[in-house]
Order: sequence, then structure tokens, then C-alpha cells
Amino acid sequence: MSEVGVFKPKIIAYVCNWCTYLGADLAGTNRLEYPSNVRIIRLPCTGRIDFNLIIKALESGADAVLVSGCHPGDCHYTSGNYHARRRWILFRELLETLGIEMERVHFAWISAAEGRKFQQTITEITEHTRKLGPYTAYKKLCEAGV
Amino acid sequence: MSEVITRKSLQDMVDAWIGQGRFAAGPVFVKPDVCMYAPLASGEQLALDGFIHPANSIKEFFFPRHEKIYTYRFKGHRLELDDSEPAKTPQLILGARPCDAASIAILDRVFNWDYKDKFYNLRREATTVVSLGCAGYDNNCFCTSVGLGPAAEKGSDAMLLPLGDGEFEIRCFTEKGKALFTGKTQTSSKEAKPISGPENRVDVELIVAQLEKNFEDPAWREIALRCLGCGACAYTCPTCHCFDIVDEGNAAGGARVKNWDSCQFPMFTMHASGHNPRSTQGQRQRQRIQHKFRIYPEKFGETLCTGCGNCTRNCPVELGVLNTLLSLREYALRNLNEVQS
Amino acid sequence: MIDQLRQTCRRLLDEGKVNVIIGYGQNSADGPAYPIFVTKPEEVGKLVWNDKCYANLATYLTRKDIKALGKPAIIVKGCDERALVVLQQESQIDREALYVIGVACDGVGNPRAAKCLVCDVHRPRFAAEVLGEASASDVGNGRYTELGEFLEKSPAERMVYWMEELSRCVKCYACREVCPLCYCNRCIADKNRPTIIDTSATLKGNFAWQIVRAFHLAGRCVSCGECARVCPAGIDLGLLNLTLARAAEEHFQYRAGIDPEKTPIIGAYSLEDKEEFIL
Repeated sequence: MSEVGVFKPKIIAYVCNWCTYLGADLAGTNRLEYPSNVRIIRLPCTGRIDFNLIIKALESGADAVLVSGCHPGDCHYTSGNYHARRRWILFRELLETLGIEMERVHFAWISAAEGRKFQQTITEITEHTRKLGPYTAYKKLCEAGV
Repeated sequence: MSEVITRKSLQDMVDAWIGQGRFAAGPVFVKPDVCMYAPLASGEQLALDGFIHPANSIKEFFFPRHEKIYTYRFKGHRLELDDSEPAKTPQLILGARPCDAASIAILDRVFNWDYKDKFYNLRREATTVVSLGCAGYDNNCFCTSVGLGPAAEKGSDAMLLPLGDGEFEIRCFTEKGKALFTGKTQTSSKEAKPISGPENRVDVELIVAQLEKNFEDPAWREIALRCLGCGACAYTCPTCHCFDIVDEGNAAGGARVKNWDSCQFPMFTMHASGHNPRSTQGQRQRQRIQHKFRIYPEKFGETLCTGCGNCTRNCPVELGVLNTLLSLREYALRNLNEVQS
Repeated sequence: MIDQLRQTCRRLLDEGKVNVIIGYGQNSADGPAYPIFVTKPEEVGKLVWNDKCYANLATYLTRKDIKALGKPAIIVKGCDERALVVLQQESQIDREALYVIGVACDGVGNPRAAKCLVCDVHRPRFAAEVLGEASASDVGNGRYTELGEFLEKSPAERMVYWMEELSRCVKCYACREVCPLCYCNRCIADKNRPTIIDTSATLKGNFAWQIVRAFHLAGRCVSCGECARVCPAGIDLGLLNLTLARAAEEHFQYRAGIDPEKTPIIGAYSLEDKEEFIL
């Protein structure tokens, strides 16, 4: 089924257990198809998502990264997503200074009821990344010896 | 009568060397005010004046700051190991200061002691070191206090001595050096007059005697108070050679690597039990000086210091070996005075 | 002014108010200045103050070997004092137990360090006493000009720049040790069960380290510039730290170490934080 030589984007999605992960599950039970390029990594809360994880995804060769969790006010742990949002605002600026392509780093609020939003978000990100092409810059610098 | 070569010829030599797929390195102004030994992409990058001493040393071309020893892969329950092939690409180091060239001869001892380090030795065999005699020095230099000088030949395969006007006298000491320069020089009546170097700044023999007598000297705590415990001195030092072996990888596999380490890091001697025999900066500074001026000489007959001054130049708080030795002398003299009075 | 400084310090030691003065010393007038720790009243003559006093002495207040010396007095420039404010906010020092001697400063370095040209804290604001007068006036803007110019490069150019710069990093950690706000007993870079940051001085390890350090200083870095000054490889670390300092100011109207009453930005949040970039 797969064609050799065609670019298949690798998307890493760090999602919170209580909202986005359940939203993804809802997409599944509703048989909403979304591209299988995404690798979903479940964490308890976006507040636990260390910015380092985004870097590690890029180190491993991810072509795009998504971080997604509960809408503000709906966090299972009350305020985890507020802390996460604040960190994201700052971390994006650092990524910009470093020259990392910000079109490949996405943040979203997707609730457990938003199976369709999950489907749409993953589909859009995958298509967008397919157009952008592989992200070789970070992988290249990781493979450089010294 | 001497053999002379021009800067242009040296640049061409570098270009030809690189053109053959070989590796060349020398002093480069990586920034307008920062000179470091760096790989040369072209002869034009080579800097042969305008600096006293580059901010780093040439040891990284023999003993890299990061080196893979072997790689491993998990295949189900099986583990596959692949030895890493040490680099054998011919290397040319052009423009090493005499204190840096000398350091390689000193490091040869420890890397061929209880284990013949093939990573080091293969690079060593593949490298030609052409040093650049000094036209000046600064307050941090003390090569003359450790038996070296601005035109010391130790460790060099050949040496360039500045004549001015983009010309250098070239003196070849080894077969490698001769092989490199044969046919590329002109005979000339000009002869280089190397400078005499800094006056003797510290009596190393006295220091060694002090180190032998007084291991528990309370002076160490005072001397090291401002030391921040970073690795700037050790990493820019031509002779420091401590390393740490770690595994880097993930569930699929990885590599065992050898990285530089510094005895000034607080965790350097941390045991798995949680005990740290060198838990204060005073103990760590003492160890550094003992290693350089007593332990290594006792073992290998060479002082583990070439007086290049990089430790002081790069130290955030102006410590470094020379200042430490001078402080040590000051304390010894003060104690002597107190005892006598 | 130097006599006044020495007399003040002598008095503090004589009266037993402090056990150690953390200040600057110098071997000769044209040599470099460096941190010194004076514990004996008769040695206050070693203390100096001039435009070579680069070091941010606040970094010593959280170090075990210095704390063992006893109750400290510290000499600070305005930029150093900002670090004291942050340390106090983070409960790392007890300002009540610390005697702060402020020195009015016209700038360090000859030519003046870049940070001094945009300085707005020439006179320490919370010290027990301030010595000297600063003739240079506080500059209100220009803090982020260098960063702004850098960001005019395209992302690809910026990445090439950092790959070039960080290839020279040797992981000596001078930047970390000199920083007053890098005081963790066990830095994340030294963690090894499991390892979070590669200790190797490869591009991967260097990027990981500098990213972590810059981000752990978000909203805490006081722009004292010491990290960039001490880097043996001449890497412009300031660009990374200024990025986050500017983000803190633009998004949250916050500057580290200026107002001790303001809540630090990391560890806090607002319901009104902007989220136009969130899908």
C-alpha cells in the first residue's frame, strides 16, 4: 500500500489523559478517520508536559509536534493547563530565536467531547506538514558528531 | 641561512591538504575578538597573528571532547555491539603555540600507560603538528616557569617563526615535518630572533616541595573560595585529560561515549553510595595542582602543565594555575613568617 | 569612595555584624578584579571598586562553601542587586540576615559592556547603604535592540547561526556556575537516573543544554550578562536569555528583579493569558 520514496510525515502528539486522549478515543469509537501519521503519547495533564519533550520529539525526527489538552477552566487538576499555557507562550519565543520552524509546533485545546475536532486537527496538521516536507534540520544537528 | 615560507604558501598548502580530503586545523578568528583552534575550511581562515593564545587547545584533535567507543542495538532479547572505528584521517595542525605542541608529548605518557589508547594513538600517528613561535606574551603566560618558552620545540614536527611581512622561518624537526615542507620553502639570509618569553613567574620546585610536605594545608580552602567549580580551566587546558564514560541512547539502542570531564565539578568524585571524598572546592583545587605538579611528574617524569595561561584567561573569576601557585607561595611565606616571629 | 567602602566593611567586621564581606579584590591597579572574601577586619584594604568589577557576587550566596563562612555582607552593583531580589522571592536568601552594600555604578568594562549602555539600575535600590554616585543616567529602552536585529534573520539563517555557535560549546558549564539564579543542588544536566540532557558536547547535547538553561531562567534571568562574558568559546548566550526576558516583558509586563512585590511569572498564571496561537 505504501509507496517507496513518498514522504510520510511523522507527527508526535503529546496529549492529556482526561481531555484530548478521550477526544481521540471518541473519534475512534465514532469511526471518524484521521491520518495514522500521528503517534499519540498520553500524559496525565498538559501541566506535566515539560518543554523538553518537544525538543526530544524533534531530536527523534518528528516532522511536527502537537501538544493538546483540556480547555481553560476544564482541567482535571484545576490549573495544570493554565501553567502549561503560560509556559507555551514563553517557550515559543525561545524556539523562534533558535530558528526552529514554528509552523511545525502546534498547541491545541481539544476536549473529550471533541472527537471531530481531534480528527480535523490531526488531518490539517498532517496535510500541512506533508506540504512543508520533512523536518531535517533538527535531526541533522543531532546526527552531527561534534 | 634559513628556510623561509610565505603566508600565501601556507594558505595554499592548507587548501591543497584539505582538497585531498584530509583534515586541517589552526587558529581561527571565529568572531572578531575570539580566536580559537578550529577546523579549517580554507587556508584563508588561518590566523597567524593578532592573538596571544587561542581560547582553547589542540588536545581536542587527539582527544576529542566527545568520542563514540561502541554502539549497541537491542534486537528483541539480543544485544548487538559494534566497535567504533577510531578516526585515521591525516590531520595537519598549523599554527599551534609551542605550549600546545608540548602538551601532546606530555599527554602521550598517560595515553600509553596501563592501556594503549588506540583512539588517541591513531590520531597521533596521523597528525603533523606545525607550531608557531610566539611574538609576544601576556600576564597569564608562564611557559618559562615550567621549562618551556616562546620557541620551545617539544612536540612539534616543525615550527614557524615570524619574520614579519607575512614571512616565516620554518624549522623542521621530524620526518613528518620535513615531508610536509620539502619543496615549499625558499632559502633566505633572514633569520628569526625568537623573543625570550616572560620572566620566571613562580618557582615550581619550591611549590612541589610545599605540595609534598603539606597535604592538609588550610590555605586550600581560602584559595578556592572564589572557584565556581566549572570546567573552563580543565577544558581549555592543553594537558588536562580526565574523561567520563557514559551510555547515551534509548529503548532501541545507543552508544557508549567518552566525554571530557573536569575534576572541579562537584560531582566528579561522587560515589554511588552518596559519599564524596572531594566535597569542597578547596579539596578539588588541591587535587588539580597536586595532579599537575606532583603526581603526574612522579609517575611520568613530566609536569602536567605547559604554562599557556588558558586556565587564567578563561576562568570567570581570575583563578587559574598561576594565581593558585602564587597564592600557595604567599600562604607558605606568611606561615613561615608567623612561625619565625 | 573606596575608603568609605573599606571603613564600612571594617566596621561591620569589627562589630561582629557579619562574618564575611563578599567583595572585589585586585592584585594591581591595571590587573583584573575578582571576587574576594574578607573575614578579618585588618584585611579590608584588599577591597576595591572600579570598572573591572564584572563578577555578579550574588552567585556566592547560594554556595555551600561560602555559606559555611557565616553571616555575609555583599557588595552589589545595580544589576547584581536584581539577582538578590529574585533570590529573595525564591526564598534562597534571607535579606534580613544579609547586609547589602550597594555601589553606584557608571558601568564596567572599557569599552563599556553592552549591558551598561542600556542600564536602568545604576544605583542599587534596596541596599542597606549605597556608596558613591553614578553620573550615568538610567536608560529606559534599547534593551532588546540586539535581539531585534538578530530576529530579522530568517528562521533558517537563525538555525545556521546557532549550529555554528553551539558547535563551539564544550559543556564547561561556566555559564551555569557564574549565574546567580542557577543554584540547583543537582542540576538537570547532572541528572543521570535517567539522563534528561546528554552530557556530550555534541550539537544535540549543546542545543538541549542551552535550551534547558535558557528556559529554566525564564522570568528569572536579570540580564547581568555574566554567562556571555565568561563563555570560553565566545558564544552570545545573551540572545537566548534576552529572548525570554523580552517575552516576559511583552506578554506579562514583568522584569525579573525589579519589583520584589510582583509575582514571578513561572509558577503563576492568569486567566487572561493570551492564546491566539492555540488551535
